[in-house]
Amino acid sequence: MPRIARSLILGLLLGALAGLFFGWIPFPPDARNSAMPDLSQRFRDEYTVMIAAGYAVDRDLKGALERLSLLQVVHIPSYLEKATERIIDTAAYDLGDIQLLVRLAHDLGRMTAVMAPFLVLDSGGS
Amino acid sequence: MSRRERQASTAQKGAPGYFAYSVFAVGLIAGIALGLAVTRIHGPLQRSKSETWQLRAVDGNHYQIAIALEYAHRGDLPKALAKLIAMRPAHDPLAALAEAACALGSSGYLRSESGINALSSAVSLYASQGRAGCAEELLPQEATEAAPDEEIERAPNAGYATPLPTKPPLPEAGAPISRHAPTPVPRRSFEARSARSHCETAAPALIEVRVVDYLGRGIPGQRIRVRWGEQEDIFISGLKVDRGDDYADFQMDEGLEYAIDMPGAAEPLGASLSTSACYSEGRRALTSWRVTFVEI
Repeated sequence: MPRIARSLILGLLLGALAGLFFGWIPFPPDARNSAMPDLSQRFRDEYTVMIAAGYAVDRDLKGALERLSLLQVVHIPSYLEKATERIIDTAAYDLGDIQLLVRLAHDLGRMTAVMAPFLVLDSGGS
Repeated sequence: MSRRERQASTAQKGAPGYFAYSVFAVGLIAGIALGLAVTRIHGPLQRSKSETWQLRAVDGNHYQIAIALEYAHRGDLPKALAKLIAMRPAHDPLAALAEAACALGSSGYLRSESGINALSSAVSLYASQGRAGCAEELLPQEATEAAPDEEIERAPNAGYATPLPTKPPLPEAGAPISRHAPTPVPRRSFEARSARSHCETAAPALIEVRVVDYLGRGIPGQRIRVRWGEQEDIFISGLKVDRGDDYADFQMDEGLEYAIDMPGAAEPLGASLSTSACYSEGRRALTSWRVTFVEI
């Protein structure tokens, strides 16, 4: 009897480990259950830039804040400041995108030395 | 007891009773199934590194609206489409956008001015490409009146309405733009991407044309012209309903050479088409051609 239990438990353990490995690493599930905060940084940045572009059209600060709040960051202006500076540092986006971000950050009361050269007050509204 | 005797004794005691391979195999299979089930129930391991296609429905809707907002600023249709496609919708990405706008519009999104603006952007984007949804109905009248018709004009290759031979009348100055009014039919451009001959006894000497957009979806109502000698004929895609929206065909005669194009929309195919005898399954037939025009 211990022989059977021992074999079964060992098989289950090894099998479960193999199942977890193959189910998560080489063949991850095609699940659509992520929330906005679960997005990778690349897509969080992309979303932020899109919201900034929308803000350039409608100048609706409340709307931009509502949309950024979906990222569930603790403090949206701080998040925007950090994201903008990081994007400037890494040159991850083109100049127009950076100007959009800086303009939104500026209107949210955030302006740093890194951002200042990119501030174009009449850049939006096209 | 000698060393050899001790080894034999140990082997006799342990080996047969220590491990049951068949039970182990059953456990292993059950364990693999259990592990896989856990991964499917739990979802992806690294949720903090999700891509947009992994977003749950409600967040995906918001992301699509953000794409529309960006489009309202830039007017960059290919970029907006690329982002919508990256979300891996089950079907047409613009129809998915229309559904997202509809879902948000039905769930209190329009209580704020900001929501109205955002949904107007989404409507402008998908309406400019000939799609429709319920968001148009949900938007307040003034928002639909203010919906920029320039958005529609900005996409010259857009429009899925059935093409009309004459230009539709322009709205009177100052008149509100109804979302239900047929969109002016803009010019689309196509390119002949493939022309292949084949031999088929069932359909001999046919020019079978397919007209598709950049996503491979059939486009009905497109005019295709065939010219031979001093004559020409126009036929329209999508009229043979059983063959699909994108299909049109033309019957060739032996000994003639045919040039094919889409008047005002696609340059003539580089080579002329002709039919000649061929054999399929031991039976004589006439070669047919399959030509595909792809929107550019």
